[in-house]
Amino acid sequence: MAMGDATLRSRLSQSAPWRRWSGLLFVAPYLLLFAAMLILPLIIGLRLSTTRSDLFGVKAEVGLENYARLFSDPVFLKAVGNTFYFVALTVPALTIIGLALALVLNNASRWSAVLRAVFFASTVLSVTVVTLIWRLVLIPDGGLAAVIARLFGQAPIAFLSDPVLAMPAIALTTIWWGIGLPMVLFLAALQQVPRDLYEAAALDNASRPRILFSITLPAIRRTIALVVIIEIILQFQLFGQAQLMTGGGPNNSTRPVVLFIYEAGWKQWQLGYAAAAAQVLFAMIAIAAMAQYYVSSRKEPA
Amino acid sequence: MRRLILAPLLALLAACGASDDRTELVVQRFFGSCQADYGAVNDPTKADGECGIMTALINRFEADNPDIRVVENVVFWPGYDQLTAQLAANGPPDLVTMHSSAISDYEARDLLEPLNPVLAQAGVSPESFTPAARAGVMVGDQVMGLPIDVWAPLWHINMNLFRKAGLVRDGRPILPSSPEEFDAHARQFHERTGKPYLVQVTDKDFAGPMRIFYMYVMQQGGAPFRDARHSNFNSPEGQRALGFMRDLYQQGHSVRNQDYAGAVSTFLKGEGGVLIDGTWMVGQFTAASQREDSALADGYAVRPFPAIFKERNVSLVDGHNWVMPRDERRTQAQREAAARFLRFFADNNFQWARTGHFPAYTSIIESAAWRALPHRSDIAVLTQIGEPLPRFVRRQSPIEFIVGEEASAAFTGQKSVDRALQDMQRRADEILQSF
Repeated sequence: MAMGDATLRSRLSQSAPWRRWSGLLFVAPYLLLFAAMLILPLIIGLRLSTTRSDLFGVKAEVGLENYARLFSDPVFLKAVGNTFYFVALTVPALTIIGLALALVLNNASRWSAVLRAVFFASTVLSVTVVTLIWRLVLIPDGGLAAVIARLFGQAPIAFLSDPVLAMPAIALTTIWWGIGLPMVLFLAALQQVPRDLYEAAALDNASRPRILFSITLPAIRRTIALVVIIEIILQFQLFGQAQLMTGGGPNNSTRPVVLFIYEAGWKQWQLGYAAAAAQVLFAMIAIAAMAQYYVSSRKEPA
Repeated sequence: MRRLILAPLLALLAACGASDDRTELVVQRFFGSCQADYGAVNDPTKADGECGIMTALINRFEADNPDIRVVENVVFWPGYDQLTAQLAANGPPDLVTMHSSAISDYEARDLLEPLNPVLAQAGVSPESFTPAARAGVMVGDQVMGLPIDVWAPLWHINMNLFRKAGLVRDGRPILPSSPEEFDAHARQFHERTGKPYLVQVTDKDFAGPMRIFYMYVMQQGGAPFRDARHSNFNSPEGQRALGFMRDLYQQGHSVRNQDYAGAVSTFLKGEGGVLIDGTWMVGQFTAASQREDSALADGYAVRPFPAIFKERNVSLVDGHNWVMPRDERRTQAQREAAARFLRFFADNNFQWARTGHFPAYTSIIESAAWRALPHRSDIAVLTQIGEPLPRFVRRQSPIEFIVGEEASAAFTGQKSVDRALQDMQRRADEILQSF
């Protein structure tokens, strides 16, 4: 019987059509889900973006009018600028701080385990809790930052009311909230670096910076690229922190594209306009992620 | 042994499966959640504040109507995103709280059920509503909601600080009646108390600045909207209103960096003279004034928004209502349950009016009992001078946000008044022309 099964498997594996379709069958469940949950909504979104519609139906076909409106809408253009600014503030910081923490905590001591848990803990909080905590830190009336400023005889700074400081304050909140993920990814990557490379470097009496730049960073370059791409995609989608901490203000200085989309689609019932903005955001994320992928893969040695 | 384990499990299973044959009525509301304090209270006279009284009223209705199971969804204010999603997904609740200013949007898309037959069944006549409450729910001959109240922005006054500032005569606050007098009072107040005259929302929550701007425009005889497709903010009245708001702020007559919660807290701590906020705070501040440890102890007064620009003595008003979203699956039994619920709220409108909101029924507003409530005689004039935005103005909620955001940017000095008015008008017109 066992021999019969083996023969059957052998025949099946040698049959060309079966070989062609068996792989597809394995991925079919995911492909179906991917098509239903991502491709189809993308197509529907594209279609909606050429209409004047609300959540209850399409009122008129308007072609590319929504896109033309978007690119002459100062609020949207500012939201695009704000989003890029936020990504520039957070992605390098999350990558560098995440890497630094991982390097420091990449050992087997008890304190490292405790600190890894501490730094990761903020990641499990919901955006509501995180923004509540940081509003309590940043508000000028009795907030922690205000108390510290008064200790040093300084007037409290109204971070969230200042158009210059509000976005860095949201970025700081986001970095505190999101530092756990890059740290854990880097830790996992660091634990994959072969020990013998470090032993060889130690025998050669290599300095710590030399080890970092010649062994560690090249060995985890794929993870660095992964972290940067993941963070670009995540941070382009800034929404909750801005909505809850500043509502997009002051003077439109912290309104990101996703908040613009939400306001246009849900508050103003301009679903077609919101869908057009969503397509622009999709293009922005795709271009940024692909550019990063292109740059990081080009650096790979042949 | 096995039986010993199985028997309770089966009993539990049977209990889970037991059908509840009561009629289910899903009501969705804002006003917050306060189950910890009022979850077990079903006597509305023993509750205070919007959340407390609303919770106690619904508890009372359930206790009085054991054949109806009320499912209460409490939504984050104002809850329209959730309602819109529910309507789009064909799963709306049976009754929802809705501002009068939002009814036109839903009514225009035929998403609300006229309540004429339900109210007739409940024995509630629209004739019993106050004129302002009726204006909020009537579309032609159709009654689109049962009014819960009418509300308006008010001046909440810290009389202890006003006394210190010499702004009290015969026990009554002296209020400004012109921009010049406003400036003089604010200066005098600051000199004598060391605190700003005005406590207002400047950040994040833009409803406050919007209402002040609308009021100043309306007091000058201006109309914030020209027609259904055009706003009228960039007008001489708009310029003067926003310029005045900016001058007050720049001259230090107002607190700074305050969101809504911060402004209320600042006023309760006695850090400013006048808080501009709605009728819903009257009950809470009255309660604070009865506590010895409060900055408002024996020192709280409330007045309608004073006529700073004297062309018209007018006040912006809006209202809360129960509306019934369209749902073809709603059964006759649920309709009857809704009718009883609405009747109950009409009968208990006096209890709701204890929040500080104006009652929605003429009989209550003319009653001695309502007038005997604290401060009501001081603000009763609003029933005559209150005026909502015209019914033709749709998308009032997002436009209000834009108006507040731009006004706030202008008076805090982040943008010029001219630029803010231009942007306000352009953004509002884009919305008005988008449907």
